[in-house]
Amino acid sequence: MVPSEIIQYGKIAIRNLKTRSLRSWLTIFGILIGVFLIISLLSLSEGLKETISKQLRSLGSEMIFIMPGDISNPLTMFMGGAKLEKEDLEVIKKTEGVERVLTMSYQSIVARYDEEGKTVFLAGLPLEEGRDLLEKYQGWSLADGRWPSSARKEIIIGQQLVKDFFKKELKVDSEIVLKGTKFKIVGILNSLGSKTDDSFVYMDMNLYQDITGDKRGTAQTAIVKVEDLSNVDKTAERIKENLQKIRKRVAGGDSVDFSVITSERMSGIAGSIMAIIQLMVMIFASIAILVGGIGIMNTMFTSVRERTREIGIMKAVGAKNSSILMIFLIESGIIGLAGGLGGTILGIVLAKLIESYGQVHPIFYFKASLSIGLILFGFIFSFLIGCLSGYFPAKRAANLKPVEALRRYE
Amino acid sequence: METIIKLENIWKIYQLGKVQVPALRGVNLEIKPGSFVSIMGPSGSGKSTLLNMIGLLDVPTEGKIFVKGKDITFFSEDQLAFLRGKTIGFVFQEFNLLPNLTALENVILPMIFQKSSEKEQKERAKELLIKVDLKERMNHQSNELSGGERQKVAIARAFVNNPEMVIADEPTGNLDSTSGKLIMELLVDFHKREKKTIVVVTHDPNIASYSQEIIHIKDGQIVSNHKQASQVLWSQAK
Repeated sequence: MVPSEIIQYGKIAIRNLKTRSLRSWLTIFGILIGVFLIISLLSLSEGLKETISKQLRSLGSEMIFIMPGDISNPLTMFMGGAKLEKEDLEVIKKTEGVERVLTMSYQSIVARYDEEGKTVFLAGLPLEEGRDLLEKYQGWSLADGRWPSSARKEIIIGQQLVKDFFKKELKVDSEIVLKGTKFKIVGILNSLGSKTDDSFVYMDMNLYQDITGDKRGTAQTAIVKVEDLSNVDKTAERIKENLQKIRKRVAGGDSVDFSVITSERMSGIAGSIMAIIQLMVMIFASIAILVGGIGIMNTMFTSVRERTREIGIMKAVGAKNSSILMIFLIESGIIGLAGGLGGTILGIVLAKLIESYGQVHPIFYFKASLSIGLILFGFIFSFLIGCLSGYFPAKRAANLKPVEALRRYE
Repeated sequence: METIIKLENIWKIYQLGKVQVPALRGVNLEIKPGSFVSIMGPSGSGKSTLLNMIGLLDVPTEGKIFVKGKDITFFSEDQLAFLRGKTIGFVFQEFNLLPNLTALENVILPMIFQKSSEKEQKERAKELLIKVDLKERMNHQSNELSGGERQKVAIARAFVNNPEMVIADEPTGNLDSTSGKLIMELLVDFHKREKKTIVVVTHDPNIASYSQEIIHIKDGQIVSNHKQASQVLWSQAK
C-alpha cells in the first residue's frame, strides 16, 4: 500500500477519535495504567536486582559467610538472639582450607551528639587484626582520619552519617555518646557501595562487647577467607559438617540452626528471588494491559456499530475491505500507542521519584534501571495490543456489505 | 452503442425468516452512456433494490450484470468497490456525508480510495465545490451545512472521480422545493455539459419529465419503459 494513503487513513482515524474524545481518552487511560505498571515496576525491580548483585559482588568470591539461623527461614535469622558461640568459632578456624576468620556483631543503638539522640547501627569487628582483610576483600578505605586503636575509645563511621544525619555535621575528632560512654570519631570511611553499610558506626569487637554486654568470644556473623579460591564450596561444606558435629555434641539437637553461604550461593538465592518478583510483576502488569486491551476492543466494537452507516458510505464511494480495516486498525493502534506513551512517561516519573526518595532514605537505596529496550518494549507492546484488540472489530467493519451497512439505522 | 450497465434476468430474493420475498423478478435493463433515466414506482416496488444492482452495491440472487460489456457477476467485493469508485457516483436522499469531515474532505473521500495524489485530490475537489457554489463553505463540517448545501456537497462528491454514471436515489426527497430545484438543475447541468449518464429514482413527475427514459417498476418487475421525445425541466418549462 502507498504510504500517502495510510497518512490519509490516519487523518480520518484521528478525526474519528477526536469526535468521540471522552471515550477515546478513557480507553487510552485503560492502556496507560497497564503500561505504567509494567514500566515502573520492571525498571524498579531491574534496578533492585542490579543493586543487590552489585553489593554481592563487593563481598568477594573467596568469602564464606556463617550466620546463626536457617537462611530459608528468615524469622530465625532476623529475630536475633542466635549467636555463634566461642566453640563454633574455634571449629570454623580449625577447619581445613580456612585461612582467616573475621567475626562481626551488630545492633541498633541510640547515639547522642550535641544534645541530639538518634538510632544508628553499631557494628563490632576486630578492626586491628582484620584491617587487611577489610581493605583487600571488602573494599574498605578511609576518606579522612586514621584507623582506631583498640586500646582507646575510638570509632570510625560510614559516609551516610557525616552530613544531614545529626543537625551538626560529624567530623574527625567529634565525640558521640553510645550507652553513656563517650567515643571519639577518628576516621571516616569512603562509601562501601550500599547505603546501609554506609550508615554504620564501626568499633573494635572487644569495645562492642563491653558496651553491649555481649559475651566475649561470640559473634553474630563469621566471614571466612579461604586459602584456595578453587576450594570455596568444599571448604563451606567442611565448615558445615564440623559445625553440625559440635552442635550435636554441645546442644544435643540435630537441627540446622546456622547457615553457611558462599557469595556465589547468595547471588543465586537473590537472583531467584528477583526472578520470582519480576515474573509476578510481569504477570500482574500483563493482566492490567489485557484489561486495557479488552477496553480497546469494547470501544472499537461500539464504534463499528455506531458507524455502520459511515462504513456503508465509504464502501459505496469505493473503499475496499482493506481500506476500512486499515482505518479502524490505525484508530485502535493510536489508542494503544497514546496509552503506551503516557504510561511510559508516568512510569519513568514514578521510578525516578522512588529513586530520588531512595537517595535520602538508605533502606530504599537503588537506581531505577530504564533501558531504551524497556521503553521501546512499552511502545511497541502497547501499539501491538491496540492493533490486536482492534483487529476483530475492524474485521467486522470491513466485512460489512455496503448495501446492508447503508440500510442499517436508516 | 455499448451499454454502461446491462442487467440480464435479475432476481433478488430476500430470506425473511422462513419466507422468501422476491424484490426483483427477472428484470432486464440496459443503460446507455449519456442517457438520463428515471425510475419510478410505488414504495416497496423494488426501486431501491434495482438501484443497488445498477450501482453495484448489491449482488443478485440470480442473473447477470455487465459493466461495459464485462460480466461482473463473480467479481470479488474489493473488485466491485474499485469499479464502483471509478465508474459510479452516488447521491442519496439522506445526503450520507461523513459528519466529522469537512465539505472538502467529504468530496476528497472517493479519490483517496482511487489512489490519486493529495494535490490532485484537493484541486479537483475545490473545483467541484466552486462549481456547486460552495466556495465559502468548503471548510465547514457537514453538520454545519443546510440540507441543500449538504446535497450539493454530495453531488460534488459523486462527480469527483469523473465517473461515467451518477445514481441519485430521491435526491430531492429531503429538501424544500427551492433547494430541490437547485439540486436537479445541477444534475441536469452535469448531464448536459459533461455528457454524464444520470439514473434517478424519484416520485416527482417534474424530474421524470426531464428524462429521456422513464422506467416504471411494480412488484419487482419493469412494467413500462418508455422513451420520451422531448425533455423538459420545470424551470425551463416556466
